[in-house]
Amino acid sequence: MKLLRAELFKLRTTSMWWVFALAWLVTTGVVLAVNSVNARALLKPFDQYVSIQTHGHESPTTLDPGRLDHFKSDWTAGHDVIVQAAKIYTSGQLIGLLLACLLAIVLVTVEFQQLTATSTFLTTPRRRAVVQAKLGTALIVAGLAWAATTVLSVVVGAVFLHQQGYLVSLGSWSVDRAILLNLAAYLLWALFGIGFGTLIRSQLGATISATILYLVGSGAAGALFTLLNTYVIKHNWVLSAQVIVPSTASTVMISPTQPFDYAPAAWVGAVVIFAWAAVFGLWGVRTLQGRDIA
Amino acid sequence: MTNPDPVGRIVVAGLTKAYPGFNAVDDLSFTIEPGRVTGFLGPNGAGKTTTLRMLLGLIEPTSGTATPGGRRYVNLERPVEIVGAVLEASSAHRGRTGRNHLRAICLAAGLPTSRADEVLELTGLGAAGDRLFKGYSLGMRQRLGIATAMLGDPQVLILDEPTNGLDPEGIRWMRGLLRDLAGQGRTVLVSSHLLSEMQTLADDVVIIAKGRLVRQGSVAEVSASIATAVHVEVRTPAADLLGARLEKLGAGVSLTANGDLQVTDASEKQIGDLAHELGVPLHRLAAGTADLEEAFLQLTHEGATIR
Repeated sequence: MKLLRAELFKLRTTSMWWVFALAWLVTTGVVLAVNSVNARALLKPFDQYVSIQTHGHESPTTLDPGRLDHFKSDWTAGHDVIVQAAKIYTSGQLIGLLLACLLAIVLVTVEFQQLTATSTFLTTPRRRAVVQAKLGTALIVAGLAWAATTVLSVVVGAVFLHQQGYLVSLGSWSVDRAILLNLAAYLLWALFGIGFGTLIRSQLGATISATILYLVGSGAAGALFTLLNTYVIKHNWVLSAQVIVPSTASTVMISPTQPFDYAPAAWVGAVVIFAWAAVFGLWGVRTLQGRDIA
Repeated sequence: MTNPDPVGRIVVAGLTKAYPGFNAVDDLSFTIEPGRVTGFLGPNGAGKTTTLRMLLGLIEPTSGTATPGGRRYVNLERPVEIVGAVLEASSAHRGRTGRNHLRAICLAAGLPTSRADEVLELTGLGAAGDRLFKGYSLGMRQRLGIATAMLGDPQVLILDEPTNGLDPEGIRWMRGLLRDLAGQGRTVLVSSHLLSEMQTLADDVVIIAKGRLVRQGSVAEVSASIATAVHVEVRTPAADLLGARLEKLGAGVSLTANGDLQVTDASEKQIGDLAHELGVPLHRLAAGTADLEEAFLQLTHEGATIR
């Protein structure tokens, strides 16, 4: 407990906490605005949706069949107040999860980047205990970030939905489930970040790798596994297997709808990302324990 | 089982750290006693810092042990209350104040945070305690390092090059502080390349070269032990004659650029008596002083050629 207090103290006595706090609030605000605009369009009747999307230049009767199908598909998936409420109330998710991961990475790598590892491990020679304290700190901060971004999203989103004449939808299990899964995702990405940061000592290397993995991982994995499925192994499980990529696993876990064809159940995503975090964490602690602090 | 080592005794036994192609520390053994300031000397790359880091559990030895008070550092229950260490001056977060740096360590070590204020005053940093670390001069960073080491009021102080970056006033302050701490019965181990500093500060010295022990003892003993190896400078108009006779007696003789003789393995008295016997006038007869600097250079050179 004393180590946890020390780590929390260390976090709030540098500028890091407010830089991250600001980043969380600003990115949540931006995503909230985008989600609200999209919801406003998607919740309209289809002809008005097409009109909004084409800036008034087209209507369903003038669209070519390909674009019409595309718009229809998007509108059908999104034309549901519950779906839109869940999306708006979890606006802190898209970049927020990445920030939770990055904060956790920085908590560990800052010791080497700022040359404080020596005094930290002189004070506490049991390195595993230090990593555990950092993990506790990352989980607490991730939880607080989830709470702050959720309060912002829910308050603004509820006012928006009410003004638009829709049900606020809080209390609906689908909406509440999305909000709670968002918390789980925050915690798992923080856990993942601690493992990643412990394993990769370079702050720059770890943060860039994690950012690429988070932002590009799903898209790259989707393309790769689709190619594999099309040309090499023509079985549906290949498409399901892309859940092994952490960012894809995260999407599978939190998505209210099936994120891709043959996507496994949400719990599989949770297990996969937890497994990644555990592997990185245990490997990282083992590496750290044997590493000379020179 | 009883612990034969008092809390403050440092015992290094058969300590080795092997890296691919070389041993940074090679079967090193020595003992440091409480109540004394011990200088840990060696040229750059001798293995001083590696030894200290092994002593503090930051580097895993390949073999051997290094224990403060009979236990490995990593096995100490409350290490900062047994051993205080200053290994690098720039070891605080640049964006954190000195006071908060110390408070964070207090929290991690289970010490009251008021201890941070006390050590800031002790080290003369009270007024600068709320400044960010990035604004500290090198001397202030050294003082903060000392303050960090003193947080747990430890029995053992280990300092790696603590006077680096200190101005003369700071060096004098450091010297006084370390002497006071040793006077209180604490063990003070100071590594340094400032040999003249050790002459005025240390009671004992441990000299290493290329990871191996070269000599250990009191400053006086180590200086005296190499006294016979120090040359005597002789100026005489009969350098050839005197030089030849000295060589016959087994002394080492060489001629300097200005025609003086440099004689080793013969004392001033022996040379003076021989000159008198030969009827050779002497215009200069001066023995090199066996200061620690000279002893250090000689011994570490020998150490370097051991392997």
